[in-house]
Amino acid sequence: MPPMKHDRETGLTYWRSLDELAQTPEFQEAVQREFPGDDWDQLPPATRRQFLKVMGASLAMAGLTACRWPKEEIVPFAHRPEGRTPGVPEHFATSMELGGAALGMVVTSFDGRPIKAEGNRLHPDSLGALTAIAQADILQLYDPDRSRRLLLREGGQQYVKGWSDFEAAAAEHFAGDGTGVAVLAGSSSSPTRAMVRDRFLEAHPNAGWYEYEPISRDNEREGTRLVFGRAFRVHPKLDEAGVVACFDADPLFDHPSSLRLAREFAAARHPESGIGARLYVAESSYSLTGVRADHRVAVPSSRVPVVLARVAHLLVAEHHIELPAAAAGYAGEAGQEISENEVHFAELLAADLAKFRGGGAILVGPRQEPAVHALAAVLNQVLDSTVGYTTDPDPDRPSHIEAIGELAAAMASGSVQTLLVLGGNPAYDAPADLRFGELLAKVPLSIHLSLYDDETSQRCIWHLPRAHGLEVWGDGAAWDGTLTMRQPLIAPLYDGRTATEVVAFAAGSKPTSGYELVRENLRSSAPAADFEGFWRRALHDGTVEGTAWDAVQPRLNPGRLAVAVDGLRALLDAGLPSADRPEVVVTADSRIWDGRFANNGWLQELPDALTKVTWDNALLMSPATARELEITDGEIAAVESGGVTVEVPTFVLPGQARSSMTLALGYGRSAAGQVGNGVGADAYQLRTARAPHVVSGATVRGTGRSYHLATTQDHFAIDTAGFKERNRRVGELVREAPLNAYLANPEVFHEHEHHPPLISLWKDQEYEGEQWGMAIDLNTCIGCNACVVACQAENNIPVVGREQVLNQREMQWIRIDRYFKTEPGLGSAEIDNADVVFQPMTCVHCENAPCEQVCPVAATQHTTDGLNAMVYNRCVGTRYCSNNCPLKVRRFNFFNYHKDPADTTKMQFNPEVTVRARGVMEKCTFCVQRIEAVRIGARNDNRPIADGEILPACAQTCPTKAITFGNLNDPKSSVSKLREEKRSYATLAELNIRPRAHYLGRLSNRADGAGPQGHGTPHGEAESHGKETA
Amino acid sequence: MNEDKSNDIFIFPKWTGVLRPAVAIGALGGLLYATVVVAFGFSPLATDVGYAPVQPVPYSHALHVGQLGMDCRYCHTGVEEAANALIPPSQTCMNCHKAVRANSEKLIPVFESYSTGMPVEWIRVHDLPDYVYFNHSAHVRRGVGCVSCHGRIDTMEVVSQQKPLSMGWCLECHRKPEQHLRPVEFVFQLDWVPEEDQLALGTRLRETHDINPPQDCNTCHR
Repeated sequence: MPPMKHDRETGLTYWRSLDELAQTPEFQEAVQREFPGDDWDQLPPATRRQFLKVMGASLAMAGLTACRWPKEEIVPFAHRPEGRTPGVPEHFATSMELGGAALGMVVTSFDGRPIKAEGNRLHPDSLGALTAIAQADILQLYDPDRSRRLLLREGGQQYVKGWSDFEAAAAEHFAGDGTGVAVLAGSSSSPTRAMVRDRFLEAHPNAGWYEYEPISRDNEREGTRLVFGRAFRVHPKLDEAGVVACFDADPLFDHPSSLRLAREFAAARHPESGIGARLYVAESSYSLTGVRADHRVAVPSSRVPVVLARVAHLLVAEHHIELPAAAAGYAGEAGQEISENEVHFAELLAADLAKFRGGGAILVGPRQEPAVHALAAVLNQVLDSTVGYTTDPDPDRPSHIEAIGELAAAMASGSVQTLLVLGGNPAYDAPADLRFGELLAKVPLSIHLSLYDDETSQRCIWHLPRAHGLEVWGDGAAWDGTLTMRQPLIAPLYDGRTATEVVAFAAGSKPTSGYELVRENLRSSAPAADFEGFWRRALHDGTVEGTAWDAVQPRLNPGRLAVAVDGLRALLDAGLPSADRPEVVVTADSRIWDGRFANNGWLQELPDALTKVTWDNALLMSPATARELEITDGEIAAVESGGVTVEVPTFVLPGQARSSMTLALGYGRSAAGQVGNGVGADAYQLRTARAPHVVSGATVRGTGRSYHLATTQDHFAIDTAGFKERNRRVGELVREAPLNAYLANPEVFHEHEHHPPLISLWKDQEYEGEQWGMAIDLNTCIGCNACVVACQAENNIPVVGREQVLNQREMQWIRIDRYFKTEPGLGSAEIDNADVVFQPMTCVHCENAPCEQVCPVAATQHTTDGLNAMVYNRCVGTRYCSNNCPLKVRRFNFFNYHKDPADTTKMQFNPEVTVRARGVMEKCTFCVQRIEAVRIGARNDNRPIADGEILPACAQTCPTKAITFGNLNDPKSSVSKLREEKRSYATLAELNIRPRAHYLGRLSNRADGAGPQGHGTPHGEAESHGKETA
Repeated sequence: MNEDKSNDIFIFPKWTGVLRPAVAIGALGGLLYATVVVAFGFSPLATDVGYAPVQPVPYSHALHVGQLGMDCRYCHTGVEEAANALIPPSQTCMNCHKAVRANSEKLIPVFESYSTGMPVEWIRVHDLPDYVYFNHSAHVRRGVGCVSCHGRIDTMEVVSQQKPLSMGWCLECHRKPEQHLRPVEFVFQLDWVPEEDQLALGTRLRETHDINPPQDCNTCHR
C-alpha cells in the first residue's frame, strides 16, 4: 500500500493507479522515461567477440542482398471454384458456442484461410458486434499446441493411434444397454446434439448423461423454478428501462446477450433520445456495469441479498407496493445489520423503482444464490419490469454442479465402467472437493475428446482430438432460442471430430458426419417443399429469422414461495465477512473465461478491464482490507480455505467491497500449452460443490514475498503539464458531467479550456477530397476490450509476452485507459471507493502532429486524406516520434516479435497489412487497408464513398457503437454531426495538435438529491473562469 | 626509475607506422566501393528489366494474343475486378486444349494438373516487393493500358519484364498520368496508338474522368 498522505498535494481528479495518486518515485520515473525497459545496465553484457560476430554476420547478409530476391512461384487452382476470385476475401456466417448459447459471427476468409471474426448483424445476440473472447477464438484454431492425434495411455506408456483404432477398441463398450456407461458433456444449445443425445440414450437406456459447465447461469434458472414452479430463462431488456438495478450482475459484459444489452443500454443513455436507464449497482467487485453505474455500493457478495431485501422492504413499507401474500415474508426483514451507505442506496433505488413502475429492471448476477434470484423475480413481477421470460430449453436437467456431483458419486462407487468426456476439462475445473482427477483412475475406460491434450486427457486412457468450431458443421441457439448455423471455414487441420460426431458413433447410429446430422435435424423444422433453398438461406444468413422461443408470462407459484423465503432468510442471517474471515469470490476471468482460452496469447496479453493486469490473475482486495491485513500491493497472499492453500499476488483495487476478495478462475494450468502453462494461480482449488461462487470464512495472509504483476495501468501515462495546475487550467483528458447539468448548460464540457491562442508554426494543409476523422463516445464506451482484440486481429499485432509487458512494450494499438476518479483533497475512505472511467486511446491522427515534426527520415507523414501515415520501410527506429507523441500511442518493435511463426500461426495473418519487423515504429492507421479497399471499389464504380461504408475494425466490433468513423469534409456524415455536438472535445487541445479523433463527454444520470459524491460537478472551481483566450 | 607505465597500452607501438599507407588505401578503396555500389544500385541493370524466366510450359503470348487475337481477360479474369490479374487455372487452358493439340508434349504439365488437381507452378515475372499493395482494377478501369507496364506482350514468345517496376517509375506516372491514359475501351488493345498527340489526349481524359492518382505513401504501402 503506498502512503496516502500526499493525495491532498497532488490534487488529482483522475488517476491511473494508487501509485500515481501518491506520486511514488516509481510512477514518476515511469512517466519521465519514455522507454523504461531501455536500461543498458540490465542488458546482458555483450563481449567484444559477440560484437564482431554480429557485425560479421551483417556484412555477410549485406552481400547476399545484392542478388535478386528469390524466385517466386504462382500456383493457380487447377479447377478454380465458381465465383471465387483468388486474393479477394470472402465472408461466411457461422457461430461460436460458449456456455450453452451460440453467438453468430461472420468470418473473413482469405484464399481459404479464416483470418478474422466479426459479428453477424442478423444474429440477435451479436447485432454486428463480437466479444473479445469470440474474436480471439480464431487464434485457437491456428494454435500450434492443439492436439494433432489420438493418444492411448496404457501402463505408463503413450501410443499414437488413429480413429479406426479407437473405433475398434471402443465398439464393444458401446454395444450393450449402456450399463456402466456415462457421458460427461458440456452445455450445448445445439438442436442436432440434442437429437444425437436422444439417439444415444435410446440405444443405451441405462447410460448416464451428465452436463457440466464451470461457469453458468444455473442459479438464475433455479431461482425461477423457486417462484414459478418450473425453470425459465430470463431476458432483460434495457432500452425501455428508466431504471436498472444490478445486484452482483454484469449485464453489459458477463451475459450471453451482453452485446445486445450493451447496445440497448447505450441507446437508453443517449442524452436526447434515450429514456435514461439510471443504473444502480450493488456488487462486491467492480464489473463493467458497475463502472457505468450512477449509484454504486461496494457490498460483499454475501451481503448483497441484504441490500436487495432492504429494497423490497422499502418498496412495501414506503412505496406501498403490494407483494403477493405468499411472498410477504420477503418484505418483513429490515432488522439486519446494514451500513448507512447501503440504506441510502436502497432508499434511492426503491424510490426510483416505484417511480418507474413498468419501466424498471432488477437483475441479479449468476453468483448469487437461487433465493436471491427468486426475490428479484418476485419484485420484477410485481413492478411489471422490462424483464421477459421464455421456457428453459431443457427444464428437467439438474444443475451443472449437481450433475457433476452425481457423476463423481457414481465414479467413486465404481459403477462407471466407461466414461466419455466430450470437451471440457473436469480434472481441472470440476469442484475441487469432488477430486475428479483422482476418480478418473477408477474408471477402466475413460475417453476425452478435447482441443488440447490437457489435464483431463492426461488422466484418461484415450485422448481424441476435437475439431475447432471453425472447422465443423453444426448449429446452436441464441440465448433467445434463435436458430444459429455453423459452417466450416476450413477443413479440420488435425483430423479432429466434434462432440456430436463422437456421440453419434457411440450411439451406433448412422449417419455420423456432422454435415449430414445437421441437415437431418434441420429437415424436421424446415418447410418440406424447398429444403435446399431453406438450407442455403440459413447458411447464408447464419440464423433463421423468427425461430426465437415464444415469450411466456409466468405466474408466481404460491406453494413454492415459502421455500424461497426461507432460503433467503438463511442468507440474510449469514455473518458479515471480516478481514480475519473474508469472503473470496471466485469468478470467470474477463479474458480466458473458465480457463479454456488459457493458451490464447491475444487474451492472455489483453489487459483486464479494471486491473489492467496481463498474463496473470490476482487477488483483488480493497485498500482498507489490505491495510487491515497489512498486505501490500503486489505481495503474494496465501489464501487458505478447507485445508487448501493457494498463493496468489495481491492487487489492491479501489472500489472493491471491504473484506471481500475476488479471484479469477482459469489460471494455474499445467497442461494448457506453451502460452498458458503456469500462468497465474489456480482458483479452482478453492471451489467446492457447496460453495462454487463465494468461499466464505477463508483466511488470507501476506507471505512477505512480492511479485511483479504485469499491469499496464501506469504504462503510456500522459504527462499533462503540471499535475497541480492541470485541474484548474486545462481540460481533462476525460470529461464528464451530470445529465441535467449538461442539458442546462451544454458548454459544460468546455469550461476549462484555458490556453493562449493556438498558432501553428507550420502552414496548414488544404484538403479537397475526403478527410477522415473519428468520434469516440465516452458516454457509451463500456471498456469491454472488444476493439483491442479486433485491432490486434486485423492489423497483425504481435503478442510480446509477460516480460516485455513489464517493460512497457505491449504492442496493442488501442489501449483502454482506466482512470480512477475522486474529488481532489479527499481522504482514504473516498479513495477506497473511487469511481472509474474508461477512455479508449489510440492514434488520434493529429492535424498538427508532433511525431511528424521530429522524424528525421520522414517515415511518418500526412496524407492528402488527412491520415497520419506510418511508412515502415523508411523507419530507422530513432523513436523520436514516440518521445514527442503527447498521447503515447506509438508502439515500437523492440524485437522481431513475429520471427519464425509456426506454419499455422502464419495462416491467421491479414495479407492486406504488412507484418512489421524489428526496429520499426507502428501505430493505429485508421485501418488504412479498409479505407483503400473501399476507395478503390467506389472509384471503380464511379460513385462517392457512402457514409459508414468504411468501418475500421474497432468501430465495426464495438457493441455500443461508441466509435464512429467517416469523412469530416462532408457536413452530413455522421462523424461530422457528432463533432458538432456540444459534448465533443479534443484531448490536449491546448497543445494545438488538432486531433482528428474527438471524444464525446460522458454523462451521469444520478437521482435528484443524491448529493455530489463521486460523480458530481465536472472539475475544478468556478473562480478560475473568465480568462479564456481561445 | 619507476615511471608509471600503465598508460602505455593506449599508445600505438612504433612498428604500426608501416600500416599508415594501408589506412589511406582503405579509405580510398571504401570511397570507390561506395561509388560503385550506389551507381550500380541506381542503374537499370539492377532493376531486372529483361528478366525472362523459363516457364514450366512454353506458353506463347505471341501465338495466343498476337496471332489468335485472344483477349487478355479470357485468362486474366481478375484484372478489372480485383487486385490480382490472376493466372488462369489449368481448367481455362483445357477449354481449348481438350481438342486442340491434345497430344502435345509441351502441354503435359497442364494435362497432369488438370487430371490430378495439383497446380502448374508458373514463375512470377513481374514481382513487386511484398510491402507493395498494387491493384490492377484501379489502373485498368481508369484507362491505363496493359502495355504501359507490361510492354507488347502480344509479340513475346517468352514473357519478359519490360519496365523497371521501381518506386520512382511508379511515381513518374502517378505524377503525370496523362502520358499513359487512353480511352478505357482500348486498355486491352496492346497495339493501339492514339490518333492525336498522347499528351493532349491524356490531359483531356484526365480532366473528364477526374483522375488524380494519389502520391501518398499509404496508397501502396500499408
